[in-house]
Amino acid sequence: MQLDENIKLALSGVSDHKFRSFLTMLGIIFGVASVITMLSIGEGAKREAIAKYQDLGVNNIIVREKNLSDNELEEVRARFSQGLSLQDAEVIREILPGVNQVASQAEIATEVKYADKSVKSTVVGVSAGYLEMMNYTLKSGEFIQESQYNSRMKVCVLGAGVATLLFAQTDPIGQMVKIDDQWMEVVGVLASKTLFTETVGELAARDLNTDVYLPLSTFLNRFTREKELSNEIQQITVQVENSATIVQASQLVNEILKRRHFNNEDYNIVVPYELLKQEEKERQIYNFLLGAIAAISLLVGGIGIMNIMLATVMERTREIGIRRSIGARKADIMSQFVAEAVAISITGGLIGVVLGVSLSLIVSFFTDVSTCIRLYSIVIAFAFSVIVGICFGYLPAKNAANLKPVDSIRYE
Amino acid sequence: MIKLVDVIKNYAIGENEIPALRNINLHIAKGEYVSIMGPSGSGKSTLMNILGCLDTPSSGHYFFKGTDVSILNDDQLSAMRNSEIGFVFQNFNLLPRLNSLQNVELPLIYAGMPAAERKKRALEALERVGLSGRLDHKPGELSGGQRQRVAIARALVTHPGILLADEPTGALDSKTGVEIMALFQELHDEGNTIILITHEAEIADYAHRNIFIKDGMIHSDKCRVVSD
Ligand SMILES: Nc1ncnc2c1ncn2[C@@H]1O[C@H](COP(=O)(O)OP(=O)(O)OP(=O)(O)O)[C@@H](O)[C@H]1O
Ligand SMILES: [Mg+2]
Repeated sequence: MQLDENIKLALSGVSDHKFRSFLTMLGIIFGVASVITMLSIGEGAKREAIAKYQDLGVNNIIVREKNLSDNELEEVRARFSQGLSLQDAEVIREILPGVNQVASQAEIATEVKYADKSVKSTVVGVSAGYLEMMNYTLKSGEFIQESQYNSRMKVCVLGAGVATLLFAQTDPIGQMVKIDDQWMEVVGVLASKTLFTETVGELAARDLNTDVYLPLSTFLNRFTREKELSNEIQQITVQVENSATIVQASQLVNEILKRRHFNNEDYNIVVPYELLKQEEKERQIYNFLLGAIAAISLLVGGIGIMNIMLATVMERTREIGIRRSIGARKADIMSQFVAEAVAISITGGLIGVVLGVSLSLIVSFFTDVSTCIRLYSIVIAFAFSVIVGICFGYLPAKNAANLKPVDSIRYE
Repeated sequence: MIKLVDVIKNYAIGENEIPALRNINLHIAKGEYVSIMGPSGSGKSTLMNILGCLDTPSSGHYFFKGTDVSILNDDQLSAMRNSEIGFVFQNFNLLPRLNSLQNVELPLIYAGMPAAERKKRALEALERVGLSGRLDHKPGELSGGQRQRVAIARALVTHPGILLADEPTGALDSKTGVEIMALFQELHDEGNTIILITHEAEIADYAHRNIFIKDGMIHSDKCRVVSD
């Protein structure tokens, strides 16, 4: 029998009992829909995580000053620690193998004013290569140049949030803003960053869009901070050439700093790449669970199909006998019933795909869980449903084909 | 055309073997019109199923057009049923969800014939049995006699040359039965070989040769000269 006749026959088998076929499909429908939905939620979470860590730089090691209480600070000072300093950064640059760049930053929370407006901001003194290392992008103007750094110029780059708050209509470039009691010229504005609302490792969450950047040299010279030594900085960011050896590199950084801080651990080291890997590992477990759930639901769906198909074969013994008596071969009967099972599972799979895609969209629309539907998840879910149809249709079809013509045609 | 040599058929019921056919020897030539009669349970249907390749003998040989059918495999038997034999049942055995045309086309589908030719052949066969006007009717929408005509058309559509009919009039009233028998008469006149099981002597009288079966054995085998 030709393929097209087989397909026609299978489809008529399904449509002859629409409601029953639909019930049979339910398992497959929900299996496929849940696979697609869960995969899209997983993918959404993955993308968010990757974006988060990529913003921090996957090749970066971030050394951050610990927030110490007054007592603790006194204690570490008594044990000769100077806190994180420019010298630390310098030593790391010299000693650490495979280091690409080292950037230092010092911070102070203060007000930035322009005309009659003022905004609370984190003023960050940074070294020149900072922009590239942190994956920041400029919206207009330019970032702090080496020369401006060297000559301690009074220039600044505004975060997107600060710029929009202070300068509604006017172009901020070339304007003077007042930071603390210092006038600084705006030379650039950063593009808005969607970062980072979650605590990453020991890095506290903060809105980077309210940052204002100055040359670190200018910063250390002009801003006096309580309880801080003049060379003290809040963060050293070390960029290595290769993320494969970043864990060893971070351990080495720790060794260097421990020695220089006389065993005072008044700093934290955060390796975004390591955290990314960790989260990936956790997600692998999640993915594995997902896969197991999906497999089970498709299995249950398959068993549902098999169950109905076995009953169908019983019920249609007479039909099988008639077909056999007029010349259908075993293979014809076999393919008729397998095709019917596959038709059921494909239809179920298609409905499941539609349902799964809609569910994913609904989830991302109505909740703050972000989802991302990947084509491969649709292909996998669908392919699985076809395979389920073939596998679980096989046994009933074989039963049907093996009925003896003379017995089945007499079957009451 | 048909030759049975020492054919035995036993049915196993639990431990016991029930003999349905004991040592049947039979020869039927091309173009014959044979009736088979006998009491209920004597083995008529069993014999017919073997002749129709729906069943195989427990021992003995069945030659169809010279080939030993008892050694054919399942696919070959299917092919025999498909192209060499037309089977007509007492209870019609049509597929209830298909209309007349589709029912008649069915053997040709399994023969792998292209759709256009299939339809042409099926229409011819339905016309031959006088049912051109009922192509779209499902079996449930036809009378018993019409259903049997569809079944005969289905048996004829592959041009098998032999028709096996197991009590074809058994489920019909006598008037309709006579009409069906007239159709068989015509088909025989056109050169078809016909073997027909019946309980009724009047029906058997249509045939030229009457076989009587009792207890799984051929009790008598008489040729008649038909007057008209
Ligand atoms: N599938 C089977 N399993 C066991 N025994 C069977 C089977 N088919 C037929 N028989 C037995 O074989 C014998 C012959 O049966 P068969 O159907 O050939 O009789 P029949 O002559 O056609 O009778 P009827 O005129 O009532 O149709 C019976 O005794 C029956 O019980
Ligand atoms: Mg019988």
